Amino acid sequence: MASTTPRKVEVLWLFRSLLRTARQFCDYNVREYTKRRTIDAFRHNKSLSEPSHLSSVISDGKAQLDLAKRQALVYKLYAPKMTSIMDLKPTI
Amino acid sequence: MAAAARSAILKYLRVPVPAVPSNPSSTTPLFLSPFNAIRRRLFSEEVRGTFLDKSEVTDRVISVVKNFQKVDPSKVTPNAHFQNDLGLDSLDAVEIVMALEEEFGFEIPDNEADKINSIGLAVDFISSHPQAK
Repeated sequence: MASTTPRKVEVLWLFRSLLRTARQFCDYNVREYTKRRTIDAFRHNKSLSEPSHLSSVISDGKAQLDLAKRQALVYKLYAPKMTSIMDLKPTI
Repeated sequence: MAAAARSAILKYLRVPVPAVPSNPSSTTPLFLSPFNAIRRRLFSEEVRGTFLDKSEVTDRVISVVKNFQKVDPSKVTPNAHFQNDLGLDSLDAVEIVMALEEEFGFEIPDNEADKINSIGLAVDFISSHPQAK
């Protein structure tokens, strides 16, 4: 794999954008799930080489990115009133 | 009849007003506040940002990288290269840069993040960035 093929740049951009969007969810569970799901999916498809399969996977990832952006916004409007215990800072 | 209804409605609509302190200057001296405002705007740390000490940045970057699952903590040195020394791939490098963003509380632009592929480069970038906390 060459270091700066356009496709690699695109994949890394998609990966980073998904992780950035994942951070915007206000609910701990959704935030961690989105992050975990992103990392797992990219690892799972790491060794794909067939061009047609690759582009279908990438376009699927872009659709998921749009969905995550939309949902992060919608969830922000209806944020849970209780913060998750995982988000509480230790007082010590 | 109409007058009674009117006064009842007016009474209902009356809004309570919190008491205003009679002498506001007793709490904050008036002549000082503009200076304070200017001083806060010019010299505040949040706005201007401060450069972190390089050795402190190095320690914190190393601890972030050591906490990364796939990394062997004994291999992490201040000069380690993500791909060559730590055996990470490009996806791991993106994850590490994201973890560094969370640790230092600022966003690294994509074109800069792509260049960070070793601990030394990460330390250089973060310690030269005023927004890093």
